[in-house]
Amino acid sequence: MSWAQAILLARGLSRGWGGICSTALTGAPFSQVTPQAPRGLHCSTAAHQPDSPLVPRPPEPQRGLVKALAPHEELFRQAPDGVRDKASFVQAVQNFTQYNVHKRGHVDFIYLALRKMREYGVERDLAIYNLLLDIFPKEVFRPRNIFHSIFLHYPRQQECGIAVLEQMENHGVMPNKETEFLLTQIFGRKSYPMLKFVRMKLWFTRFKNINPFPVPRDLPQDPVDLARLALRHMEPDLSARVTVYQMPLSKDSTDATDPTEPHIIGIQSPDQQAALAHHDPAHPIFVEGPFSLWLRDKCVYYHILRADLLPPEEREVEEIPEEWNLYYPMQLDLAYGRSSWDDYEFNIDEVEEGPVFAICMAGAHDQATLAKWIQGLQETNPTLARIPVVFRLSPSSGELLASSSGLEEPPLTPPEGREEEENNQQRQQQSQS
Amino acid sequence: MSGCGLFLRSAAAARLGRARVAFTASRRPLRTSPPSQAFAKELFLGKIEKKEVFPFPEVSQDELNEINQFVGPVEKFFTEEVDSQKIDREGKIPNETLEKLKSLGLFGMQVPEEYGGLGLSNTMYARLGEIISLDCSIAVTLAAHQAIGLKGIILAGSEEQKARYLPKLASGEHVAAFCLTEPASGSDAASIRTRATLSEDKKHYVLNGSKVWITNGGLASVFTVFAKTEVVDSNGSVKDKVTAFIVERDFGGITSGKPEDKLGIRGSNTCEVHFENTRVPVENVLGEVGGGFKVAMNILNSGRFSMGSAVAGMLKKLIEMTAEYACTRKQFNRNLSEFGLIQEKFALMAQKAYVMESMAYLTAGMLDQPGFPDCSIEAAMVKVFSSEAAWQCVSEALQVLGGSGYMRDYPYERILRDSRILLIFEGTNEILRMYIALTGLQHAGRILTARVKQLKQGNVTTIMETVSQRVRDSLGRTVDLGLTGKLGAVHPSMEDSAHKLEQNVHDFSRTVETLLLRFGKTIVEEQLVLKRVANILINLYGMTAVLSRASRSIRVGLQNHDHEVLLANIFCTEAYYQNLFALSQLDKSDQRRQERRTPRSSEHWHPTPTVLTWLSPPAVGMTKWLLQQILRKISMN
Repeated sequence: MSWAQAILLARGLSRGWGGICSTALTGAPFSQVTPQAPRGLHCSTAAHQPDSPLVPRPPEPQRGLVKALAPHEELFRQAPDGVRDKASFVQAVQNFTQYNVHKRGHVDFIYLALRKMREYGVERDLAIYNLLLDIFPKEVFRPRNIFHSIFLHYPRQQECGIAVLEQMENHGVMPNKETEFLLTQIFGRKSYPMLKFVRMKLWFTRFKNINPFPVPRDLPQDPVDLARLALRHMEPDLSARVTVYQMPLSKDSTDATDPTEPHIIGIQSPDQQAALAHHDPAHPIFVEGPFSLWLRDKCVYYHILRADLLPPEEREVEEIPEEWNLYYPMQLDLAYGRSSWDDYEFNIDEVEEGPVFAICMAGAHDQATLAKWIQGLQETNPTLARIPVVFRLSPSSGELLASSSGLEEPPLTPPEGREEEENNQQRQQQSQS
Repeated sequence: MSGCGLFLRSAAAARLGRARVAFTASRRPLRTSPPSQAFAKELFLGKIEKKEVFPFPEVSQDELNEINQFVGPVEKFFTEEVDSQKIDREGKIPNETLEKLKSLGLFGMQVPEEYGGLGLSNTMYARLGEIISLDCSIAVTLAAHQAIGLKGIILAGSEEQKARYLPKLASGEHVAAFCLTEPASGSDAASIRTRATLSEDKKHYVLNGSKVWITNGGLASVFTVFAKTEVVDSNGSVKDKVTAFIVERDFGGITSGKPEDKLGIRGSNTCEVHFENTRVPVENVLGEVGGGFKVAMNILNSGRFSMGSAVAGMLKKLIEMTAEYACTRKQFNRNLSEFGLIQEKFALMAQKAYVMESMAYLTAGMLDQPGFPDCSIEAAMVKVFSSEAAWQCVSEALQVLGGSGYMRDYPYERILRDSRILLIFEGTNEILRMYIALTGLQHAGRILTARVKQLKQGNVTTIMETVSQRVRDSLGRTVDLGLTGKLGAVHPSMEDSAHKLEQNVHDFSRTVETLLLRFGKTIVEEQLVLKRVANILINLYGMTAVLSRASRSIRVGLQNHDHEVLLANIFCTEAYYQNLFALSQLDKSDQRRQERRTPRSSEHWHPTPTVLTWLSPPAVGMTKWLLQQILRKISMN
């Protein structure tokens, strides 16, 4: 048994190395945060892998400049009118199975199909994944005896199967009975894809509703709507009001000479208004930002209007007036309070921060735009006119801004027609910077 | 420290005695009124002040005759001449009814005789309340007039004010109203917006503002109004303080809105009252300038006890009507009254009515004792208990009546609608629970402070005393507060119930102590805890009241006293288990917290948290062992 372990360990090590090398070059398409945890759990048992995607690189690693055709690429070009939808994808897969009775090169084809799924907009379609799994020949890769099960039986095929499941996982697709049936037919019960399947079944149900602040699956395309959503997402107070201070000028009508008017959308709750009204005009308030906020695969930037925390000696202690409640005493006149023995709270270090008076999202992050926001705020907050406002705008918005100028204006349309590799490259740059 | 260690019992007694002595000694010089008799407050310390509640207060024969003189004609009037249904439909009490009420003297029941009132004692007032409440609209109108409207003049008015206003108010020529509530201010005195400013010649206050939901607002010609005035402090700063004024409608600038359309008590007049530049002479300030808060509190606290008897009167009438129905309606050849589930409802109604009546008259009796006893907690308890019982009983009565209870042709649905207001006005029950619990805890806290301090400083004797007390409690010592036995106040037929009461009182005082230890001042914020404390106290008071009353009934040999004993025993048993449940809820959270802090101790033996959390587990074991040895020695002796 120790011998077997040693072999597994060696394999794990080699895979680990492969993983380290491959992270530099490839990156799995992350959806949101959720897949992280199951991924980690998955890795822990098989072997210690870094966060490498299971989709191996295509045989020809040179990418970007000249794209060599992957095998079977032509199958995906056959669509007569260039429409890329579910039907044409299914057609391509069916063509493969029809013309390739012996299923030669099916592993390559499945990897290719997996990469193509986004383009066809079927990456969240369970039926398609089942269709892909269906390409595998049945019964061939099932382990026949105990040694088959101990050693990785048909490793390439099993990894391919795992890759399909992995992509499902990344897109949050829950496998169903049919998937299970296919996997048992192809790889048998005691196989790694089956293990992955079982784990997905276990954890997906648990993680499905784990996010207490769910983001809708399809984000609005309009930047104004998106900003509205993001602001609501950040603001805990339900009575807060979203105000559109400036609508974006439509880009078609204006040419480059016109100064474009970026959108400015702000949110403020009644409590924040009251706090701003009570703010001492002697202390300045600050406009800070931009800070980034990720909504699924989109990054938006926001600014806040905040003040510094008052020094403790200037804070007003709220005291209970003597004659307040007509019916019962509001405080007890006892000589002792709750002592440290009776303090059952957890020991939490709380960092007190100054109040935030408003949040805004604008199309541009320059001072002129934000000054317009402050002007708009003055209509509802008259005291703001008397308080000095300091703009503290950071040139770069954290780690992401340096390399991703393209993301500054978040892409309004899903990256259709863009190759997966390009996406990967971009992410890879981000992660390096 | 003579009673250290070995003589635990005497030490405990001595300690209590010392605390009491220290307490009275420290407070006596401050006291201006005769010693306040606080039965409910003492319950927080695990003591039953027997002489306050045993024997049940009685009225003298003269008084009884007097009451009967009044009660006869009033009862006749209410049963024969008052048409409650018509009052409810039309939303107005007819003028001739009001005139008759005035001629009966019902507008001045508690006004002293020298000012033309009836000068009834609290007990007699409560008795009359039973009859008046046969029509809730009239009862509310009268209560708004005299329980709160003119009460301010009786309690805080000067001689001139009394002489000027009370005679006309007592005769009913003038109707009074109490103007406190504002759109933005219910129980929050700080947000009162009505303002009174002193005129330049310093002879008038100019009153501006509006009040809402004023009962009798449309009828009244004398208002007790609370408004903010500027008061110069002792240190020279100007502050806004509440001041009470007597305002006549003739002062001008007073307008009342149209009567509100209400769910129940539709015959009573409720409306907004607006004051616009009303000029009030300086002489009409009630009490001191800036002292309106105290006036308002006193008025509100004093007016509540009568609700118990009033509700009981109404309930007795309702039981009568319902019983008639249940005894005549036949289903399956049997009267409804023969079915167990129906009988249960009647038992419930009879029990609640009996308890609230006992509580109300016990409180009235306490109030009638010489001096000015402070029974505001008791009065609040009567109010909470009776209003909730009323709602429950009326609902059960409707259930007995089935469909006819739901029809507008019958009086039952009106009674249901009318009784809903009881839980809301005169301080909502929630707010009164806070009052009951916090006032009691304040009292208990003062006395326990000294002991708690010693505990926290680690005074060995105090710790030993406390621990030994806990151990004795945990060994199941029966509590004896002296209610039963040879010279006991409670009749032997209710011995069990008396023991239950004693047990509850004892446990309650322990819980109060733990709660104070646990929360200290912050207990004000623990409303759910306070609610349970108040519920337990209300039950304890109810138990005391019925035990006292039933004991008296047996000893005097009243008719049907066996029924009273039955009702008392049923109530005591129920209340006992309710209390146990509430106490366990209050303790349980403590235990859970305790376990979280010291996960090592798997045993459930846990004396006061404060004591044992200092001691390491071996020390705890040692202490336990030592105490057991000591106790064994004591028991062998």
